[in-house]
Amino acid sequence: MSILRMLNSLPAFWIILSIPAILLIRGYWTGDIIAMDMLHPTGEFSARFLIVALMITPLSVMFGVRRWTGWLMKRRRSLGLAAFGYAILHLLFYIIDMEALKPILAEFWAPGIWTGWAALLVFVPLAMTSNNVSMRRLKRGWKRLQRLAYIAALLTLAHWLLIHDGLGGALAHFIPLFLLEILRVIITYARRNNMTKQQDSLQTE
Amino acid sequence: MKYSAFAVATAVVFASAGLSAPALATGKMSCEAGPQSGWKTRAELEASLVEQGWTIKKSKVDGGCYEVYGTTPEGDRVEAYFHPVSLEKLLVSRRGEILFRKK
Repeated sequence: MSILRMLNSLPAFWIILSIPAILLIRGYWTGDIIAMDMLHPTGEFSARFLIVALMITPLSVMFGVRRWTGWLMKRRRSLGLAAFGYAILHLLFYIIDMEALKPILAEFWAPGIWTGWAALLVFVPLAMTSNNVSMRRLKRGWKRLQRLAYIAALLTLAHWLLIHDGLGGALAHFIPLFLLEILRVIITYARRNNMTKQQDSLQTE
Repeated sequence: MKYSAFAVATAVVFASAGLSAPALATGKMSCEAGPQSGWKTRAELEASLVEQGWTIKKSKVDGGCYEVYGTTPEGDRVEAYFHPVSLEKLLVSRRGEILFRKK
């Protein structure tokens, strides 16, 4: 029983989130993967964790307070921070692959490149305030600030679509989130409508 | 109502999983170069490029052409396409920006 609880703990979840990074870095270390080929998997895992983190709110809206939505909610910060961590790895291997500042600057304004830098820039305040102290200090502003995650997601999607040959991978990752967000808006709107109708009928009675 | 939302969510996940079709050729360049037995080797191409001052990260076949990732003698980090028989330079691009295209 205690082993199950340990496996279900946050530290265990962090270990799970870091397994892809450990395997990738080991591959790079042993020479199986060159820096250039580290870019796609590190970027993809960053996008994946960001998408999963963003899916949690619409799922909670759709299904309400359940054990599994609570389980996910408790892991949302870990997922967001993992997305940032993989983005940093992505940047690190980009620098290793490019080798020098000059070629990095030469391609900076290519649409597929600056969108990546912009996504990372938006990620920084998100990651820096992903802790309880910041939550307390920023009060209501914290939620507003964290909504930047949607901007980060859009920039990540643009970066992926523009830098990669073929749209399939990026769309396969982002369409589920997109559909969940649409459902969330519909459900929220329908509930609000229902509520005002109920209030109206109460008033006429 | 709750079940229908769940059904929709499940359908969404499966439908999107089906979308990830593998991309074999990128479509950026294609070469009609006949059977591979008539091709020069990638090692030959790489050797001649290195001699011209390129540094090479990796090379592969794309669209029937040789595709090379590396740095040109001018110091541009690019991806470039070469004809596998003549080893002629066909296209050089940097993150989508065309730096050279054979006329």
